[in-house]
Amino acid sequence: MHKRSTVIQGRREEDAVARFTTESRRRALSARRLRRGGLALALVAPAALAYVVFVIRPIVMTVQYSFYEWNGVTPSTWVGLANYVELFHNPELSGSIVHAFELIIFFSFVPVALGLFTANAIRGFATSRLAVVSRTVLFLPQIIPLVAAGIMWSWQMSTDGLVNQVLRLLGLGRVGRAWLGDFNTALPAVGVIGAWVLFGLCMLLLLAGMTKIDPALYEAARVDGAGPFREFFAITLPSLRQEIVVCLTVTVIAALASFDIVYIATQGGPGNSTLVPGLEIYYLAFFQREVGMASALAVALMVLVLAVVVPLQLINREGKS
Amino acid sequence: MIVSRREEWLGRTLLVLLMLVTVLPFVSLFVTALHQPGTYPSGLSWPATPHWSNFADAFKAAHMGKLLWSSVIIVIGVVPISMLISTLAGFALGHLRPPGGRAVFIGFVLGLTLPFEGIIIPLYYQMRDFGLLNTRWAIILPLIGLYMPFAVFWMRAHFINMPEDISEAARIDGANTWQLFWRIHVPLSMPALSALAILLFLWTWNQFLLAVVLVSDPAQRTMAGALGAFQGQWGTDIPLLCAGSLLILTPTLIIFLVFQRRFVAALLQGSLKG
Amino acid sequence: MSRPRFAQRTTFTATVLLGSVLTLAACSSPGGTAPTSKSASTSSSSFAGGAPSCGTAPVALSTYIETGFPVPKDLSDEFTKQYPNVTFNIREDQFAVITQNAPRVLVDDPPDLMRLPQVSELAKDGLLLNLDPYAKAFGWDKWPASQLEQMRVNSSGGRGDGSLYAMGLNFSMTGVFYNKELAAKFGMTSAPTTLAELDADLKKAKEAGLTPAAQFNGGATGGLAFPLQGLMAAYGDASAINSWIYQKPGATIDTATNTQAAEHLKSWIDAGYFASDINSIDYATMMSRFIDGKSVFIFNGDWESGNLDTKMAGNVGFFLMPPATAGGKFGAMSAPLTYGISAKAKHPDCAAFFLNWVATNDKARTIDVQVGGSHPMGPADAFMPSIDASTVTAQTLAAGAQIGADNGAMDFIANATGAIYAKSWTPNLQKMDAGQLDAKGLLSAVQGDYQSEIGG
Repeated sequence: MHKRSTVIQGRREEDAVARFTTESRRRALSARRLRRGGLALALVAPAALAYVVFVIRPIVMTVQYSFYEWNGVTPSTWVGLANYVELFHNPELSGSIVHAFELIIFFSFVPVALGLFTANAIRGFATSRLAVVSRTVLFLPQIIPLVAAGIMWSWQMSTDGLVNQVLRLLGLGRVGRAWLGDFNTALPAVGVIGAWVLFGLCMLLLLAGMTKIDPALYEAARVDGAGPFREFFAITLPSLRQEIVVCLTVTVIAALASFDIVYIATQGGPGNSTLVPGLEIYYLAFFQREVGMASALAVALMVLVLAVVVPLQLINREGKS
Repeated sequence: MIVSRREEWLGRTLLVLLMLVTVLPFVSLFVTALHQPGTYPSGLSWPATPHWSNFADAFKAAHMGKLLWSSVIIVIGVVPISMLISTLAGFALGHLRPPGGRAVFIGFVLGLTLPFEGIIIPLYYQMRDFGLLNTRWAIILPLIGLYMPFAVFWMRAHFINMPEDISEAARIDGANTWQLFWRIHVPLSMPALSALAILLFLWTWNQFLLAVVLVSDPAQRTMAGALGAFQGQWGTDIPLLCAGSLLILTPTLIIFLVFQRRFVAALLQGSLKG
Repeated sequence: MSRPRFAQRTTFTATVLLGSVLTLAACSSPGGTAPTSKSASTSSSSFAGGAPSCGTAPVALSTYIETGFPVPKDLSDEFTKQYPNVTFNIREDQFAVITQNAPRVLVDDPPDLMRLPQVSELAKDGLLLNLDPYAKAFGWDKWPASQLEQMRVNSSGGRGDGSLYAMGLNFSMTGVFYNKELAAKFGMTSAPTTLAELDADLKKAKEAGLTPAAQFNGGATGGLAFPLQGLMAAYGDASAINSWIYQKPGATIDTATNTQAAEHLKSWIDAGYFASDINSIDYATMMSRFIDGKSVFIFNGDWESGNLDTKMAGNVGFFLMPPATAGGKFGAMSAPLTYGISAKAKHPDCAAFFLNWVATNDKARTIDVQVGGSHPMGPADAFMPSIDASTVTAQTLAAGAQIGADNGAMDFIANATGAIYAKSWTPNLQKMDAGQLDAKGLLSAVQGDYQSEIGG
């Protein structure tokens, strides 16, 4: 009898202990989490502070400025949405946005398309000496500042520059002209500079992606009798979805936010044919001292970038699932 | 992968052609820099008398020593601090995972696609109010803030992929969070940290917009900003401009060639993860 | 269980938000409410014992000058020779960059002396020092009034009268330079005296297979403004153009005679008298082509006379843009090489002393003429160095006398407002050269931009 009650008592004690342990464990866990939460807060604080002071606050201020007319020196006047209305009506301003989108063709589509083509063409010998050397060489444009690329190419695209010299060698001398000074070719010429800078990055990204594709897929395709075209569109391209989206994202942002190259190569000219939002914001704010108008354009630019990049990322997310 | 001989030959030719197009501008820059100052050489032509002195003149005219030093100081100001605070934040968000951390993380991510022109205007007035215009701090402080989205994202991604058992084992051994961070996780993060360092170094060195708007003295700018100033002053003298540009490019080129594999890997990873 | 977690999450995010809000707290309207010193900043220094000077203590004057023109540097060197305690910290940039940087530099990094082609807006915003006290102390107001007229800005921002806000190192003369050798090839032995004769010369040059004019028109500086303004003076009245530049109420650039001038320029463009790539060549390229004999004519100013006398000795001639009808009056852009003193300059007295020295010191005036090729500022009877009559400098100086007699001096049409050159004249002239704009379109576009700029 004593034994039994001890056993029952023992079990009851065990239960009590167990319950007590779970309680305290839970409490200890949540206490730890509270401490951890506080510690984590402290660890994030420096980064958050830098971010808020130098990024978030300026973004808010840009939006604020866009509702005023201000010359940066004397007190400002409230104008509400007038600056945004002007954005739509003024051909110089709306034109700059159009130019940015035109640049996307050169900064984005060309490097991605050419990158795909090249990566596909060389993946067969991706480990050879030539390919390894090419990795370094093709990356050079990414290392130099965009300003340097602008300077190099401005000189080469001038009347007496390398481009016309090559054209003359190929017997196409008649086509030669001052590429950056001609209304019809200035914007494409700027685009070529951007394509030159971004091609290497895209190609190497795509090549890296291609080398991860399971070769068994290609073997199966070959067995099925698929030619190189079918191989490319049915296997290679779909597997590279993430890399292509990355290429497009990086290059589209470069096109929409372009400043360095245009500032050095054409200053927005001739006429306003190469004016891009980044440059126009700079001129409006610091030269023409129309800070409100410049801020409105800056807000428009930020929104545009989001409007193009977010769908791209969603496509990527879709593809993954 | 079986590739026909013809395909491979075509591929190799294409590659060589592309490398040529990539390198020719550099060659042209070098060759033009050797021409007599004030002249306009046509295309790629070796001068009758190479003016090697152009490089020395450009070095002196651009005060290259000061420019290099300025860029180094800015990099020293930006990169270590950015890496430290972003690693702390990445550790907190990726490993400690506090409640509400996801919201904070999304806050950072929203800044990933921000074009610098979007905030350059208030940055100018902000720096003016702080009295920091025309000093290196005007470039250093905003860059630290601007790098946070990417850097925090990068380090958090690294820490999320760290398996839990290492930390658990350390905690059982009695390590507190601080020791856990410094003794265990930081050494394990070396690859991610070095890639981040390379990316931040490159972006800082080549930063142009902030330098041009916020700092008017070329000796307080980044190399890219100084190149802009050099072009502003000497842009009408093509051979001298080419010589100066080459000199300004040389440090980055050298560092790149020495650490090429690390650079390429870092940039590729950086784009993928970002 | 959910409550503590919820509480934690809210406290966490709330702290972050609170931190952000606190930093955003200073959200008053930009520019503040206290107006910055808009009133003309009169120099506070009471000049001890007479005129201001550079004193005897070491002074480092910071100057921001235009690259590619040796005059300011030569003058600085000579000044240091005569006043060894004064040294110069010189910063150089291209014309377009200086105009772009002016509003910021004057506030953030104020130089003692800065090359400023256009001062009315900068003066209106209180960024420049009012030079009236110096004018009084040094006696500048006793010089011929026309010299200082262009640098005066009145209280409402209009030009031509009011306080003095800039001073020139000299004043220039513009017209047409020509290569004598090339001209001889198609039989031009003397300068044309009417516009029709100039047309004929341009035609003959083209027919001889030469490039009549490789005028610079690229980047942010549209050089076609030079021939355009010359033609405007050839067809119309110089004072009307000055009224527009001085922002006198009701002034317009879109007039009948100006339209004729613009159409005449268009006819030159259509006839192919300008090089095919002028939209991409800058000032330095133009000078290089002219000196190398690749252009017969250029529309430029006498600031190059000294340079041309050295590089093309005996081979270069100059003439003013001839009037439209024989015997008509001559007009030309003749403006001072304006330098301003920042309102926040550290050594304004010394800077003003330097400016006075340039106009009154014999050695300085010699440098002005020989290196700069232009007429120095100063009293009408001041020392003038002797010049060899065969040089083009002599010709440009003589042209100055002609313009003086005909009262035909104008400021540059590109100086009407701070941004009219880079943002209006230049793109529209580039469009006109490319055939995208006609004469009427050019003038109405520029007038429109002018009105929206001065309107506020």
